[in-house]
Amino acid sequence: MRLGIMSFAHVHADGFLQILRNLAGVEFLGFSDPDKTQGKFFADLYGVKWFDTHQALLAEKPDAVVICSENARHLEDVKLAAAAGAHILCEKPIATTLKDALAIKEAVDKAGVKFMTAFPMRFDPSIVSLKAMLGRGDLGEIYAINGINHSEIPRRHRAWFADKTLAGGGAVMDHTVHLLDLYRWLLSCEVKDLYAEVANPFTPDAQVDTAGLVTLTFENDVFTSIDCSWSRPEAVYPRWGHLKMELIGEHGAIAVDAFNQYLNYYSKKDSRQANWLGWGSDANLAMVQEFINSIREDREPAVTWKDGFEALKVALACYEASEQKQVVRF
Amino acid sequence: MKVGIIGAGTMGNAHAKGWQQSGAELIGVSAKNQASAKQLAQTYQIKAFDDYQELLDSVDIIDICVPTDLHKAMVLEAARAKKHVVCEKPIALSLEDAQEMIDACDKAGVRLFIAMVVRFFPQYRAAKTALDAGQLGDLGVIRLKRISHQPIGDEAWFTTEERSGGMIVDLMLHDLDYARWLAGKVKRVYAKSVRGKKADAPGDYALISLGFENGAMALIEGGWAYPPGLFRTGIDIAGSAGLIEWHSDDSQTIKPFLKPKDPGKVARVGIPSSGTEDPYVTEIKHAYDAIKNNKPFLVTAEDGLEALRLALAAKESLKTGQVIHLGGK
Repeated sequence: MRLGIMSFAHVHADGFLQILRNLAGVEFLGFSDPDKTQGKFFADLYGVKWFDTHQALLAEKPDAVVICSENARHLEDVKLAAAAGAHILCEKPIATTLKDALAIKEAVDKAGVKFMTAFPMRFDPSIVSLKAMLGRGDLGEIYAINGINHSEIPRRHRAWFADKTLAGGGAVMDHTVHLLDLYRWLLSCEVKDLYAEVANPFTPDAQVDTAGLVTLTFENDVFTSIDCSWSRPEAVYPRWGHLKMELIGEHGAIAVDAFNQYLNYYSKKDSRQANWLGWGSDANLAMVQEFINSIREDREPAVTWKDGFEALKVALACYEASEQKQVVRF
Repeated sequence: MKVGIIGAGTMGNAHAKGWQQSGAELIGVSAKNQASAKQLAQTYQIKAFDDYQELLDSVDIIDICVPTDLHKAMVLEAARAKKHVVCEKPIALSLEDAQEMIDACDKAGVRLFIAMVVRFFPQYRAAKTALDAGQLGDLGVIRLKRISHQPIGDEAWFTTEERSGGMIVDLMLHDLDYARWLAGKVKRVYAKSVRGKKADAPGDYALISLGFENGAMALIEGGWAYPPGLFRTGIDIAGSAGLIEWHSDDSQTIKPFLKPKDPGKVARVGIPSSGTEDPYVTEIKHAYDAIKNNKPFLVTAEDGLEALRLALAAKESLKTGQVIHLGGK
């Protein structure tokens, strides 16, 4: 199977590149990026082929592409890929507006290509185990979930994450969707209502929100919280951040720290005083594998357009709740 | 000064240890459960009074460690008797009662100390000190956690909403107070809980979201939700210039992994330990020093009332499903 990456704008593009060029049965075609500085930089860094237009990559007739462009550019890139008949794995959030997200669906349906929203955490071994435990009824009735997806502000790696037009927002847009998707998956139902406190306390010179505390209630009355804040000190914290949750239920509690497999690592050659060096398994790899399998087996991927759409709907509602200082009901 | 304790439960015992180390003269205890009172009296070599009026008459300071619904009557009685008062948190079950107690003590010219012990835990104080020194910059997001098992046996009054105010008023009050101490005035409160939806649930757990006047926000997590014997607490305070993380899982300086002598025996009410001076001792020493030397308390009765205001606002939010706006929008 022949795959390429459209745009290197997203911080996850580096990881996808490493996976695709090492995956058995995959011919990695390279990546396209109309940003010449960015394109040349990463082509040199990784020694892979760079196409300076998306059209040039798509002319190679890839079976599938991974779209790693800025959130606001997902729709235009989906349209190009779908028209070229390439199946699509698209970075999250799916888009910055519901209108764009709906247009994405129209484009992929019309072209008859598969579309998967990139929610890798569903494939993380800790989350897979959690899903199995809940399925066995280990926790009994689930009452509540308190989740954290903290990080530093990602602008050090790619500036557009803190650009409201290109990203559609800040921490809420970037981080709410991961946990929200997990909650929807674990609980098998949708959000009923939510309230959010949203602000920018951490990086006053950024034009976007850097902190968010969201309280969401699902249709089955399970109440949850998402802390999506970019609250870890930039370039000082030992790692980008973390994803944790604690589930409370009839039989006790289950705590999950998905990135808890790391070494404490100190080097005089590094910029940080301390580093957490992860050695756990790569959820992105399992996600890419599922994407490829869904194409080979000609079935819906495990994560769909609807999953991306519902997550975006909730992220946008967080901003609404915060502006109105009121509960938003769906 | 002479001190008497009313109530011989978990807190009566914790405070007795503090009084014994405070320099005050702990003379007696009185409790409805006379067996518990005798046991406490024996441990500290003090007198168990059958009649608490007699105990009140014999002391300068009365320490009220009885269920919360009895606080008001006893504080008012102590004020009438012109005795200084130390009273377990929460101050009361309603703001009106709390105000009446404060006013009565003011009028009687006696001190009223509400024992909000979390402010005396060294890690909580250290975090506050770092914040005040500007080490964290401007406050952004505060996360506080306090989850225990549901109180067991004789301590069942805790789980009776009309007596204790429930888990939010009894347990989460600590962190509501701490958040207020860090970030100041709260403008918005939004809460969800297990018992808010299902009053007869076997345990309780709640999430309370706070929006502060200074732009900071907080997520307070509390519960009687763990298996017996487990009590976990945590702090995460993020500011524009720095971050403080602490979790009770990580800071034990000694970890005994011993086979249980009596696996069935678990403390009836979980209370966290700190591995330094017992914070209950620190608290009582402070209260005694402040009363004896007429110095201000580190946590005032008004703080106790304001923490109660937040807890009651959270309960109001559970009931209405709405964001509660304090002091108007």
